[in-house]
Amino acid sequence: MLTSAHMMALTPVILVCATAVTVMLGIAWRRQHAATALVSILGLNLALVSLYLVYSAGDVSTPLLVFDRLSMLGMVLVLASTLACLTMSHAYLEGYPGRKEEFYLLMLCAAAGGMVLVASQHLATLFFGLELLSMPLYGMLAYTYRDKRSLESGIKYLVLSAAATAFLLFGMALLYSQSGRLDIAGLLAGLESSGGGAWALAGAGLMLVGLGFKLSIVPFHLWTPDVYQGGPGPAATFLATASKAAVFIVLLRIVMVAPAFHVEWLHTVLGGLALLTMIVGNLLALIQTNLKRLLGYSSIAHFGYLLVALVVADGLAVETAGIYLITYLMTTLGAFGVVTLLSSPYSGEDASALHHYRGLFWRRPYLAAVLTVCLLSLAGIPFTAGFIGKFYIVALGVEAGRWWLVGGIIAGSVIGLYYYLRVMVTLYLVEPGMRGRDAPDNWGMKAGGVVVLGLALLVIAFGVYPTPVIDWMSVLTSPVH
Amino acid sequence: MEQNATAIIAEHWAIGVFIVAVIALCAFMIGVSSLLGGRSQGRSKSLPFESGIVGAGSARQRFSVKFYMVAMLFVIFDIEAVFLFAWSVSVKEVGWAGFWGAAIFIFILLAGLVYDSRVGALEWAPKSRNPARKSGS
Amino acid sequence: MNGIPMEHGLILAAILFAIGLAGLMFRRNMVFVLMSLEIMLNSAGLAFIVAGTAWEQPEGQAMFLLVITLAAAEASVGLALLIQLYQRFRTLDTDAVSGMRG
Repeated sequence: MLTSAHMMALTPVILVCATAVTVMLGIAWRRQHAATALVSILGLNLALVSLYLVYSAGDVSTPLLVFDRLSMLGMVLVLASTLACLTMSHAYLEGYPGRKEEFYLLMLCAAAGGMVLVASQHLATLFFGLELLSMPLYGMLAYTYRDKRSLESGIKYLVLSAAATAFLLFGMALLYSQSGRLDIAGLLAGLESSGGGAWALAGAGLMLVGLGFKLSIVPFHLWTPDVYQGGPGPAATFLATASKAAVFIVLLRIVMVAPAFHVEWLHTVLGGLALLTMIVGNLLALIQTNLKRLLGYSSIAHFGYLLVALVVADGLAVETAGIYLITYLMTTLGAFGVVTLLSSPYSGEDASALHHYRGLFWRRPYLAAVLTVCLLSLAGIPFTAGFIGKFYIVALGVEAGRWWLVGGIIAGSVIGLYYYLRVMVTLYLVEPGMRGRDAPDNWGMKAGGVVVLGLALLVIAFGVYPTPVIDWMSVLTSPVH
Repeated sequence: MEQNATAIIAEHWAIGVFIVAVIALCAFMIGVSSLLGGRSQGRSKSLPFESGIVGAGSARQRFSVKFYMVAMLFVIFDIEAVFLFAWSVSVKEVGWAGFWGAAIFIFILLAGLVYDSRVGALEWAPKSRNPARKSGS
Repeated sequence: MNGIPMEHGLILAAILFAIGLAGLMFRRNMVFVLMSLEIMLNSAGLAFIVAGTAWEQPEGQAMFLLVITLAAAEASVGLALLIQLYQRFRTLDTDAVSGMRG
């Protein structure tokens, strides 16, 4: 039965869900864009504060959910990215002619799903959280459905994500049929004792396919660039940050919990996928002429790097994955944020073709500077956050002696540098008489502008003086038991 | 083995009798009526017949999207009701905690219903009171 | 379970899953794509029921409830997008709609 300690631990999730219901009733009562955004942001901030209280109360575990330090980390990441996305959607939707308020409702539901997902230790909650995370995203991606690209990206994501879910579910069912348990730890122990047959192997493979789809690991990455390009800015941002971080953390938890995963062939498979992901992601990014597609491929490549932490899966792996995730989230939020700000006020398709950005520096120097910092960080240049993350990943790979993967990271970074630099050069080209898409004049005053600037400052600050975040991360990821 | 077969027959003979009886009854009804019934032919015999009314129009008729909305809402709320069945079979075991859980669940459903009715999803009358809503459908 | 081995049920579910997957890959009509998705989800549900029965646990059926809820929600969102698709393009062919490449 639920005790008060359990209720206490559940507070952040409950708060987000309550905010979603409140927002829904609020829309039913009266449509007001600013008020809806304010209530959503307030709710998420309350959840963040309550998260701190839960953290200081110590670990709590229910049959379905576990609130340990890893889930705290995941919840902080999900909540913070959702907050940034919400702020940007306010700027983005300002000029949208249709109904604006439902977007916040969808995003709050997705955030609740992400929080359940990172805390799940049972197949039921894993499935439930994953679906609560992706189901609102269909709506968010197709939100500006009068633009046909948005509709297309919504449909593509729906079909492929539902197929991935079917794979995941079938895999779960097969594993359950072999072990008779649905909680992850018990399931893996059951598989261990029964030795696992062909059915169990097929089940694990199908689950890997399902999760790989959501993380856009390379053989299953085909949807990513299309969906990022077509979807509205804030939705694509959410997909690239909060959604991916949550799925990655649950994968990390499974790999960490399972002694069954420490077999050589599985490491080989994961390592192969990681290598393939970083190389293919970076190579395909080379030929893109659209910034959102380019960021999509770059996010594929970054998750290739992150998989290295899963392949190594001991020693500093969790800490490294945490640090890399934080740097990735800050940087990606900043880069997508600039795209979103330039695309708003909503005027049809998002401004994402590279030629829209030609000479941006001469029109909007601060936004161009923010984008430059984020691109530098994505490329992993020293004195930006991206460098710290990449440094940790490489160090982890070297320590574990995975030379192939280290080589892949370095090769990928070199290719990456080329296409990031290409975008940066575009920003500073002078082209008289060329007027591309532009942000409204007072963008810096708006909350979205403040968030983007703050993210860029964070990226630099973390790159120059990473100690506090690293300390925090080593506390958060140290095993308590 | 022999014993086993006898046991199965003893247990299931009623089903066998039932199947045989069903087939026999159908054969009897069709056979006797084809032997005894009269025959007639004509043009109107080949027309589709529905309760005495001659069919009109194409079967590929298109309906308003609003019917679809109602159907979709029905499916969703219907599925949500399934969860209440799970509660109803264990209502003694879960006690008050289960009751409050179900109450919150129903409250959220109700909030959804209020939302649906307020945004006009439940209005399937041809003319919406608010003309601005027509473009949204 | 009275006599039928669990593997038979799982094989049936796997066949259903394969049918759904084949439909998903080879059909271009959006309605059939959604139908194939339903078949895939329901085959997973069937596998849960089979496994739950074999272990004599109620968990399999609980998971099945979650699966059909998901399938219903998926279908309603999918059909809503399908209506928008038809209103925009006057076709249900998914290839005709796919405009983004690269």
